[in-house]
Amino acid sequence: MHTVTFLPGYRKIEVPRETTVLDAAQRAGLNINVVCGGQGKCGKCVVYVQSGKTEFDQQKNLKFFTQEELAQGACLACQATVQGDLQIIIPDSTLIQEQKILIEGLDTGIELHPSVRKYYVELLPPTLSDPSPDLSRLLWGIQKNGGPVAEKMYAPLEALREIPTLLRHSDWKVTGTIALVPGGYRLVDLQENDTSKRLYGAAVDLGSTTVVVYLWDLVAGKMVAVASNYNKQISCGEDILARVNFAKKNGLSKLQALAADSINAALTTAANSAGIDREDIYEVVVAGNTVMTHMLLGIDPGYMIAEPYVPVVRRALSVASGRIGIACNRNGGLFLFPAVSDFIGGDIIADILACGMAEKEEISLLIDIGTNFEVVMGNREWMFSCAGAAGPALEGGEVLFGMRANPGAIDKITIDPATLDPAYSTINGIKPRGLTGSGLIDLLAELLMNCVIDRNGRINTGFNHPRIRTGVHFPEYVVVRAEETDIGKDIVLTENDIKNLIMSKASVHAACVTLMKEAGISRQQITTIYFAGAFGNYLNKMNAATIGLIPEIPISQIKNIGNGAVTGANIALINRRKRKTLDEIATKIAYIELNAEPAFMDEYTSSAFLPHTDLSLFPEVQKMLDTCRLHRG
Amino acid sequence: MGSDIRFGWTGAIGSVILGATRSEGGTRKISYRVGGGTTLPFLDHAPASSPLVALEICDEPQYWPQIVRNYCGDLVDDVSAWATTAETVYGADLIRLYLTSTRQRNFSDIPLVGKAVEEVLSATGLPLIIEGSNEPGIDSEVFQKCGEAGEGERLLLGTAEAGRYRSIAAAALAYNHSIIAQSPIDINLAKQLNILLREIGIQQDHIMIDPYTGTLGYGFEYSYSAMERIRFSALKGDADLAMPMICSAIDSLTIKEVREADTAYQDEMAVAWEFYAGLAAAVAGAEIICVRHPKTVGRLKKAFTSLKTGSDPTGRI
Amino acid sequence: MALKALDIYKLLPKKNCKECGDPTCLTFAMKLAGGKADVDLCPHLDEQAKAVLGASTRPPIRLVKIGIGERSFAIGEEFVLYRHEKTFYHPPGIFFKVSDTQTMEEVSAVTKRVRDESFIRVGSDLRCNGIALENSSGTKEMFAAAVATVEKAADLPLVLISEKTESLFAALVHCGTYRPLLHAATKENFKEMCALAKHHDCPLVIKARGLEQLAQLAKECALEGVQDLVMDSSPQSLGEFITASTAIRQLAITRAMPDLGYPVFLDATGSDIQDAAIALGIVKYASVIVTAPLSEASAKAALTLRQNIYTDPQKPIQMNPGLYRVGTPGKDAPVLMTVNFSLTFFTLQGYLESTRIPCFMLVVDTEGLSVLTSVAAGKLNETLVRDALIRFGVENEVAHKKLIIPGYAAPLSGRIEEMTGWKVLVGPRDAAEIGEYLEQEWKK
Repeated sequence: MHTVTFLPGYRKIEVPRETTVLDAAQRAGLNINVVCGGQGKCGKCVVYVQSGKTEFDQQKNLKFFTQEELAQGACLACQATVQGDLQIIIPDSTLIQEQKILIEGLDTGIELHPSVRKYYVELLPPTLSDPSPDLSRLLWGIQKNGGPVAEKMYAPLEALREIPTLLRHSDWKVTGTIALVPGGYRLVDLQENDTSKRLYGAAVDLGSTTVVVYLWDLVAGKMVAVASNYNKQISCGEDILARVNFAKKNGLSKLQALAADSINAALTTAANSAGIDREDIYEVVVAGNTVMTHMLLGIDPGYMIAEPYVPVVRRALSVASGRIGIACNRNGGLFLFPAVSDFIGGDIIADILACGMAEKEEISLLIDIGTNFEVVMGNREWMFSCAGAAGPALEGGEVLFGMRANPGAIDKITIDPATLDPAYSTINGIKPRGLTGSGLIDLLAELLMNCVIDRNGRINTGFNHPRIRTGVHFPEYVVVRAEETDIGKDIVLTENDIKNLIMSKASVHAACVTLMKEAGISRQQITTIYFAGAFGNYLNKMNAATIGLIPEIPISQIKNIGNGAVTGANIALINRRKRKTLDEIATKIAYIELNAEPAFMDEYTSSAFLPHTDLSLFPEVQKMLDTCRLHRG
Repeated sequence: MGSDIRFGWTGAIGSVILGATRSEGGTRKISYRVGGGTTLPFLDHAPASSPLVALEICDEPQYWPQIVRNYCGDLVDDVSAWATTAETVYGADLIRLYLTSTRQRNFSDIPLVGKAVEEVLSATGLPLIIEGSNEPGIDSEVFQKCGEAGEGERLLLGTAEAGRYRSIAAAALAYNHSIIAQSPIDINLAKQLNILLREIGIQQDHIMIDPYTGTLGYGFEYSYSAMERIRFSALKGDADLAMPMICSAIDSLTIKEVREADTAYQDEMAVAWEFYAGLAAAVAGAEIICVRHPKTVGRLKKAFTSLKTGSDPTGRI
Repeated sequence: MALKALDIYKLLPKKNCKECGDPTCLTFAMKLAGGKADVDLCPHLDEQAKAVLGASTRPPIRLVKIGIGERSFAIGEEFVLYRHEKTFYHPPGIFFKVSDTQTMEEVSAVTKRVRDESFIRVGSDLRCNGIALENSSGTKEMFAAAVATVEKAADLPLVLISEKTESLFAALVHCGTYRPLLHAATKENFKEMCALAKHHDCPLVIKARGLEQLAQLAKECALEGVQDLVMDSSPQSLGEFITASTAIRQLAITRAMPDLGYPVFLDATGSDIQDAAIALGIVKYASVIVTAPLSEASAKAALTLRQNIYTDPQKPIQMNPGLYRVGTPGKDAPVLMTVNFSLTFFTLQGYLESTRIPCFMLVVDTEGLSVLTSVAAGKLNETLVRDALIRFGVENEVAHKKLIIPGYAAPLSGRIEEMTGWKVLVGPRDAAEIGEYLEQEWKK
């Protein structure tokens, strides 16, 4: 065994020889950025060997480092193996930084009908004249106290073994926990004395980046704690594809364990902050995309990522929490949301449950945007869905100074029409480091309204203004001058960035229109547009409409449901009756494969304009643009 | 039950005026009002004008198809004579002058461009289409020069594209010329360019759409459908597409089928290739058909005459 | 008009019984809307719904087969007025016209031309389709003899043109079992014509001026038991033809006049500008075009136009990715990268051939997108180029590492160089300039 010390935090870990530095760092609890899943391809996991011996392939490193950097000990953590005691410096840029994570959900006034309940009973001890068996005595007691009919309840063998001692030891005063499971009402726990107030459940949004847990008091029907955590699988690859490939190469078990660990970490934080015992958590409801759900269950997701994209299972599932390593009550249950397809997963079904669109007569449009986007349209009778790649531009990727919603990211921006100077705010209020999705959308809308760009997104270099430059490769607009930034260089938006943004927004809009056309629905028939996910929360709705990201409907009818996945999970947790509808919703949704839809490409080209080629689809935006452009002359 | 075709069109194609006679402030013998259709091409009960046929010529023949150089002989070396012949012998309705001289390496003799335009203007009384440079570096000066040289003549200037439209638009605005708006075979891109042009002040009646014409056998079907869709949308009331269209299958004389045809009937092959595409394009909605082989001009004009006659005003036959 | 999936869904039982093979009624409705499923697969449809759905999926124009055997073909069964709405399905047959007053040699020679001449473009074998034989002599003997001559020369689909039933009767003795198209039944002779057509099971052209008259005649022929009809509006000018054929197509597909739901016949020889008539017929809904024997130039242009117009507009024609040779390139020949959109490929190939500089074309798989579009969509990228260089073993073919890329792919040049290690030269945007480019840039 060798000791590896990670600087600057002096975290130490003992690992066997030949362990990769990446593996060691992960075991030390450090979240290292690995986009490629540790294949040595992405060059993100840069570390510096301060002292000690490592081994790695020089050739692979040459691609990523200069001779000077190599001389300083630079290497890729995923490629370097431990050959002795080591001191490793991990630069800030290699660590995954804490993001502004979304933990709010839409408030729901849902009735309390949990699938698990506790019953405190004080039983009469058996006598010669009342010699009924212990179990019957217990179950009748529960029935008498408002529980299910005794005949419909059952106790597993483990419980039967405990019952006689426990009943007598507690002087016939016990609390029984009854859960409604696929086989009926099951006695999942029996405790001495009155613990009936100690009944908790957790709703989990298992995202590929973040895990969010809401802890509920299932007796009072109150939320008691919220916690979130990074999905630890990120160390095996940033995107889903990289993780599936990791699973193919190294087996699924590590990813399964990391998924469970990520949930457990958040669960522990939440339980600690609420001051409760994890053993009192009897049910965990999980909403996650189809691949995450498969991984959590340890089911091979490999067949889902290649044609013909077949998941192993899409219906809702209930399993014992212990079987997949979730740290709640040892007899607790786990409920997993169903999916529509490989692309439309349980998180989207949870979104649908959260916004209630499947119960309404009116037509709603639900949009969930990340690197991929999902769109669902419909009402209580019918629903269409589709998914596609928006490209990372809306999340700040593929944009020169784009970044995720990390501290220092500009998330809001306006441009003064008189001076063309911007005013902005950043996450955490520190000096700007880059632009995040909502900031980029603001910027695009503002540049358009001030005629700095034309509707094609081309910068009008004819403008004589110091912020508008011809740039090195592309014309650019200077958002923040170097001296005002945290990074010491000008933060600019180039014409190429704008092109990428337009392509991303065009995909989303074209997907919406494709669904509308498939159903024969006009934008006027859409009553509400729901934005799910982090993206919607920071978004300026007016600007989203201005650039044509979504079909134009009155701004008041655009709603953010925030983290719909966790909201949906909350609902399913506190009201078990809602769960029954989930499979029905999932079956009802027709999935449209955009690549097979010839009209999609046409819609895409049409949408790749600001706000759109068919201006009659954006009458209000058009009016607004005309006014402010007239003003500019 | 009636047998009239009812499409329920709500829009009409706008018109663009090309050329100016003396009374209109220019020196042309004739001017045209292009466009104005109210239904699919050749179905008008009260016929509007026939499509026009433009002969394409150039000021530097080294960039011109060999077939035309062979057919026209020395004529191609004298752009004035070429223009005169196009009008008097070949019977073209319009002349489209390509300023191919600007394609020469490091071309910078801008006054030469103005001179070529002036020469052609004096050699023919027909309205003129001028095709400027292909080089962003000199675009602005070339278009400015062309615009100036043809002031008052209501030229049609080519070619504006989504990535470069500002300099040509400036010249058109300054001297009251119209422009060709070219986009790569896509109705949406055509519309987008028209919107961009409108937003910098070009009037709708100063734009002709060129949806880019793939040569017969080399993508012509895409162009054909793009034109049909543009015409259809315009008639359905889309004002941003309600401009007349111009078509030029410029590769017709250099594609393999023509180039490798037996010399004995190479001209015939060239004419057939231009003719079939030109006729189909007119049926799809093009109002100006540009060709390069002199023999194609007369054949297309004859066909358009036959297409324009014989429709009974009731729409019945 | 085509029903949307949701409209169809409303007519379905909404039981989600899966008996049609689809998981839900909605997905079944989507298939029906796209023409990818048959209404009859649903066992729970009521009669009324069936009637509505059946009518909207049945072709509005009748499918008519002409000829038998290898060269036989079908016309009709079209659904749209504009090819971009879906596609045109059955290209028109082009028939060379001969007369029974011509010599046997002449008739035979024309027949053999149609039999043998073909023209290969984009991997397809383009041919004219058959012989139209006109009974100019007015005698049944000469007509029969001419038919025998044609039949002797080739098994081609025929159009028999005569208004005399006895002439047709005589001709059909020779070819009655080969499904020739009979031209033409008129108001005057349709009963006898129908009897003939019915007896020999032949398709029949009906001829009248005026759409109502045509529709009436079609109805009467159908009553006589002949439904494989083709309509000749006997236009006197190109203008008359386009008006009539557009009206017929429009009224048929909207089912405003279902009796016009038959393919259209055009005799281009009647026009003084035959090429114009043929081109017009091809783009504007003619299904049978009769013409005087065409020159090579006209035939190639007409067949190419027909191929273009009847290409499915929703399918980009793609080439197989690979390394293609132009001439016999040596170790120092240039390598030009291009995309697998066939139009781009053939255009570039054409120009390269004319440069007489042997070279390699490296065709990468952009899924049929053009250079401009594939760059914009990110389909054409450095990885794709690198993989193609490796997969097609380009390094073994040439002794240099220089790659010429299309002008529109210029933004990728740096990244391609980085990823492949090849030196990238940016070629012209326009394929027409490739000759000049190679002369000036490659040879120096």
